[in-house]
Amino acid sequence: MPELIAPLAGNVWKVLIAVGDKVEMDDEVIILEALKMETPIYCDDSGTVTELRVKEGDAVEEGAVLVVID
Amino acid sequence: MSRKQTPLRPYFEKMTEIGKELREGEVRRSQANVDLVREQEELIAQEIQRVKNAGIPAEKIHQRGGMTIYDRLEYLVDEGTWHPLHSLYNPTDNVEGCTGVVDGLGKIEGKWAVIIGFDNKVMAGAWIAGQSENILMVTDLAKRLNIPLVWLTNCSGVKLMEQETVYAGRRSSGAPFFRHADLNHMGIPILNGIYGTNPAGGGYQGISPTILIAHDGANIAVGGAGIVGGMNPKGYIDEEAAQALIEGTKNFKGKAPGRVETHFDQTAYFREAHDTEEGVLDGIKDYMRMMPAYDPTMFRVAEPAEPRLAVEDLNMLLPANQKRPYDAVQVLARLTDNSEFMEYRPDYGREVFTGIAKIDGFPVAFVGNQQGVFPGYPDYANGEYPGVGGKHYREGLIKQGEFVTLCGRDNLPIIWLQDTTGIDVGDLAEEAELLALGQSLVYSIEQTELSMMCIVLRKGTAAAHYIMCGPQANNNNAFTLGTPLTEIYVMHGETAAAASYARRLVKEDDAGNDLTPTLEKMNQMIQDYQDKSTPAYSAKKGFVDEIVSLPELRNYIKAFTCANYQNPKSITPVHQLLLPRIING
Repeated sequence: MPELIAPLAGNVWKVLIAVGDKVEMDDEVIILEALKMETPIYCDDSGTVTELRVKEGDAVEEGAVLVVID
Repeated sequence: MSRKQTPLRPYFEKMTEIGKELREGEVRRSQANVDLVREQEELIAQEIQRVKNAGIPAEKIHQRGGMTIYDRLEYLVDEGTWHPLHSLYNPTDNVEGCTGVVDGLGKIEGKWAVIIGFDNKVMAGAWIAGQSENILMVTDLAKRLNIPLVWLTNCSGVKLMEQETVYAGRRSSGAPFFRHADLNHMGIPILNGIYGTNPAGGGYQGISPTILIAHDGANIAVGGAGIVGGMNPKGYIDEEAAQALIEGTKNFKGKAPGRVETHFDQTAYFREAHDTEEGVLDGIKDYMRMMPAYDPTMFRVAEPAEPRLAVEDLNMLLPANQKRPYDAVQVLARLTDNSEFMEYRPDYGREVFTGIAKIDGFPVAFVGNQQGVFPGYPDYANGEYPGVGGKHYREGLIKQGEFVTLCGRDNLPIIWLQDTTGIDVGDLAEEAELLALGQSLVYSIEQTELSMMCIVLRKGTAAAHYIMCGPQANNNNAFTLGTPLTEIYVMHGETAAAASYARRLVKEDDAGNDLTPTLEKMNQMIQDYQDKSTPAYSAKKGFVDEIVSLPELRNYIKAFTCANYQNPKSITPVHQLLLPRIING
C-alpha cells in the first residue's frame, strides 16, 4: 500500500483529505510547515485514503508516514 | 569540398538536457496558480495602458497630422523586436503619471539599438521629474551593451511650474548631455530624429547626439522665442505688468529660432531634413544600416533553438504563494535553447546553480537560487539547522564568486535568476565568513567587464538582492526585470514588524497593558511592506526596469544576449574558453 512520507520535520499545517476520499496522482493532500516554508505533500499514486495518521497542528519527524492510500 | 561548423562543437552542439514535461496532475493542480499570475498581469497591463494614455489623446495629435511616440516607434522598430523598459517608472509620482519618455531595446533594420523618445502627448515632451534618471538608465544601457542609442527628440524644455524638480543637481536633466558626450567619446553613436519645438533643454537634447535628422517643422535652439518679457524690475506682476505682457504676447510675430532654414540650410547641423514624419524615421533606418554589428555567425556556438519545454509552463511552475518551494531547474529549462544546461560544480553549494547554456545559439551563463530544503547542509551549521533554498551559504557564495570570475575570463554574459531571502545569519554564519564572501562576490562581478541581466523571479531580499547582480551593480547590470510575482524589500514585513516592535510588546505585556495598539501598528507595517513591494510599485520606483510576464522572459533574455554579442568590446575565442572544459573535466 502506498504511503506518503514527510520529507522533512515540521508541523502539519493543513490536511486536505479525509479517510475514504478518492485521490489522484499529483493531488495535494497535506501541507507541512517548516523553516517558514510550506511543503506540500502530493499523491504519488491514485486510490482511496485508508489511513490518515496525522491531524493539523501535529509535529512530525522526517520520514514519518502521513497518509496511507490503497 | 569546403566544410563549415560552429566552434567547440563537442561541447556546445548537444549539451545536457534538463527539466521534464509537466504531468497531467501537475497541470491540473496549477490552474489556481495560473489564475493568480494572470491577475497580477492584468493589473500591470492596466497600469501600462494608463501610461500610454497619459497627456492629450492620441487622436488630437493625429488630427494635426502628427504621429505620437508610439506611432513613431511602431514605424521605426522591426516588427516583434520591441522590448519596452521603464514603462511604469515614475519615482516621484508625477501628476503626468510617467516620466514623459518611452524607451526600450529593439531592432532597427536588423540591428539592436537602445531606443528612447519623448512622449509628445505629455506637455509636448517637457522635462518633468524623474525623467533625467530614466534617461541616465537608458544611456547607461547603451554604454553597457555597446550598441547605438536612438533618440526621437520632441522636447519642449523644462516644465516651468516645477523647474526645481528637473533643472539643478548632479543627476538632473542636464546630465544626459554629458552622457551623450561620453557615449560619443566611447565610440557609441547616437542617432537623433528631431520633431517639434525644442528650445533650451530641448535644444541641447537636439544638438548633443552624433547624427541629427530633422522634420521640416522642427527646431532646436538655445532658447525659445516665446519668452517675451525679461526681468520685471518690480519683482512681482501687477495689473500694469500683466497688460504689458498681454500686449507683448498678442503682438508677438516671431518664429521659433533654430528652424530647418537655419540648421539645415545655414549651419548644416542637420544631416537630413524631411517633409514627413516617416521620412525622419526612414533616415534613422538608413543610418542604422551603417551601424557596426557582427554577423551572429561570428559568435554563435550552435544553431538557435527554442526551449524543448514550453515557456508557458512557467505560469504553472513558479508558485504565487511565496512560501512554496519549486524546482528552479524546471524554470531554467523553459528559458534556454533546447532546454540544455552545463552545470558548474552541481555538488558544491547546492543552494545555487551556476552553469553555461545557449540563448539563440550564443553562449551565456546562468546563476540562480535553488529552492527547497537541504538537510545536512551547510557543513558549518553542524546539523543545528538545515539549509533552505533562496538563502546563501558559504559554499554557494564561493561557487558564485569562482564562476563569475571564470565567466569574466571567458566573456560570457550572465543572466541571474534571483529568488532570494538573504544570506545566512548568526554566529555560525559569521564564523563561516559569509559577510566577506558576499562582498567577495560583489568584487568578482565588478572586476569583470561583462554585461549581466537580472531577473527577480519572486523575492529580492536583503543583501542577497545586491550581491546577485541586482540593479545596484551599476557597471555590469544592463537591466533588471521583475515578474508578476516579484516582491522586493529589505526583509519580509512580518520579520520587520517583529524586529521593530518585539521589545515594545515585551514592555507592554510586562506592564499588563492592552497589546492591541502595538499589534495594529505591526499589522499596519506588514501591510505597508506588502503595498510597497508589489510588481507595479517596484516598477514605478525603479527597483526593476520592467515587469515582464513569465513566458515573455525568454524574449528579453534573447534581446539582451543578441544585443550583447552585436558589437562586443572584448572577445574570448570560443575554442579558448575554459569553463566548458572545467565543467566536462
